[in-house]
Amino acid sequence: MITTVVGNYPKIPNYPREAKLRKAIADFEKGKITKEILSRIEDDVTIEVINEQVNAGVELITDGQIRWEDAQTYFAKKIKGFSINGLIRYFDTNTYYRQPVVENKMEWLTPICVNDFRFAVKHSPVPVKAVITGPYTLARLSKNNHYSSINDLVLDLADVLAKEANALEKAGATFIQIDEPAILKYKDDFSLLNEAVKVITRNLNVKTALYTYFGDIDDLYPDILELPVDVIGLDFVMGKNNFDIIKTTSFTKELGFGIVDARNTKIEKIDEIVNNIKRISNIVPERKLYVNPNCGLEFLPRENAYNKLVNMVKAVNKVRGII
Amino acid sequence: MKGLLTTTVGSFPKPEYLKKARAKFSRKEITMQELESLERKATEDVIRLQETLGLDILVDGEMYRGDMATFFARNMEGFKISGLVRSYGNRYYKKPVAVRKIKRTKPITTEMFKFTQKLTSKPVKGILTGPYTMTDWSFNEYYSSRKDMIIDLAYAIHDEAVDLESAGARYIQIDEPAISTRPEELDLAIDAMKIVTDGINAKTITHICYGDFEKIYPKMLELPVDQIDLEMANSNFDFLNLFKKYKFTKEIGFGVIDVHTHKTETKEYVKNGIRKALEVFSPDKVFVDPDCGLKTRTEKEAYQKLKVMAEATMDVKKELNIE
Ligand SMILES: [Zn+2]
Repeated sequence: MITTVVGNYPKIPNYPREAKLRKAIADFEKGKITKEILSRIEDDVTIEVINEQVNAGVELITDGQIRWEDAQTYFAKKIKGFSINGLIRYFDTNTYYRQPVVENKMEWLTPICVNDFRFAVKHSPVPVKAVITGPYTLARLSKNNHYSSINDLVLDLADVLAKEANALEKAGATFIQIDEPAILKYKDDFSLLNEAVKVITRNLNVKTALYTYFGDIDDLYPDILELPVDVIGLDFVMGKNNFDIIKTTSFTKELGFGIVDARNTKIEKIDEIVNNIKRISNIVPERKLYVNPNCGLEFLPRENAYNKLVNMVKAVNKVRGII
Repeated sequence: MKGLLTTTVGSFPKPEYLKKARAKFSRKEITMQELESLERKATEDVIRLQETLGLDILVDGEMYRGDMATFFARNMEGFKISGLVRSYGNRYYKKPVAVRKIKRTKPITTEMFKFTQKLTSKPVKGILTGPYTMTDWSFNEYYSSRKDMIIDLAYAIHDEAVDLESAGARYIQIDEPAISTRPEELDLAIDAMKIVTDGINAKTITHICYGDFEKIYPKMLELPVDQIDLEMANSNFDFLNLFKKYKFTKEIGFGVIDVHTHKTETKEYVKNGIRKALEVFSPDKVFVDPDCGLKTRTEKEAYQKLKVMAEATMDVKKELNIE
């Protein structure tokens, strides 16, 4: 078992701790500080959230995606062919993202999150995974004004993200995760997703994962096992049925076991998580489990996110017989 | 023929002095009494502004409210307030957290309603946040199902509606902006609204926004209210086509002003929108208003937008001999 997170970590702590990043962005928008000073503060906050994940005991962390305004914009801004439009609701959450608009052919011009990855590795005592927004989700959450079909758009985006993944591998990444929550809302598009993921992973020699969240994989199982990745991340909070769904056929991949609710402040008791790990280990052996929250932690206040990670790690240690 | 009454959705921009006072109050630098006296001054200014513009149904402008969910949560039993979570960009807000059974132990808005209604001979609309939206925008650490929480909130908000009616409110609006988030829960939202409006003789209105109401139409007409208020301008009045297909059986609050843009609409644009509405509705069924609350606009933008709205409505009324 390895403890990990899915992606983002809350950007600011609460009073009395200082909301450095919030102030820095506001100051930058007012022209009070330069871009350089802002990115130094983003670096500081990245180190801060790396340390929090490590202190909680998480064994495979992310950089917390501190620089990401949202999972779509951060990629769309650097991919040629996109413009960025107005705010739109992110799935059924109370958060919003700026909608990317596909104006032209998609092209990879420059690394998107490679420097962020290098920075995180330099400052982390534990392994760091690289996370990219998947081509299917990026396409679905964008407005397409250029391609004649979503298939063409997804496959071109897959080419772009394959280049990003290769650049991440070159930068030393040993674990690359592709986030594809949108597939749960458009299950008929599974073969398109499969084709796109193949494009990304075919030249990679690292461990790969595909994470879904905000629902279950009913109708996608066992097909989802065909995806050319090592780990499949599933949401067992908003997709409680996943317990029963994956029982039907042997789960042949490693499992990202999303069992801590990253969308509600109610904290899971250690024994509750322990029981869930025991329950899942009857279906997927412990050695093939990544234990993590069901999605990124930014839906929670920082302190709640941290406390949840602490309990998650304690539960895993309890199962291991360490405490 | 009578009709085309003008109104607004609820919130107005807070004047600079009030924003400063609210910040000072949160740092405990001024007293509640000092803040309240400024809130009342600002409320009076908002009333005078609406009278000057010649609007027909007035609002208090919500000078004393912050977030529309936390305001009610702070005034009910059973909630605490969370730390900060990010909604988008650099915007953060605090969410209500249900920690015990939710109850309304005292009137929440009636005192302010009475104060405001005394300032004007025009009717003032009472404005409440609906149970579905309150639940959707809160964390839940107490209830075992969303339904239980929604129903308890429905009774609490019903009590508030009853008190508003006793205080003289002839129009009571129950905002449900979250209602289109999960079409599969629409029945639940309708059941909750039945509890809220049960036995209320005042005209009841619900405001729905954040798009996507194709997904809940025509089912949303089952909401037990007299009027449904919708944002029409930001989709360029396209939804009228939907209403041509399935008859819209209630009065409509017809949004003609986009509240998300800085630019003031032209009078022609607004007149055109109203004329389009009149292709589908008789004038007595149409209440002209902005798409949503105006709190994110500057005071000047809000004034200019409302002025265009009022003048455009007046022009159309003259053209068509509507009183
Ligand atoms: Zn609205």
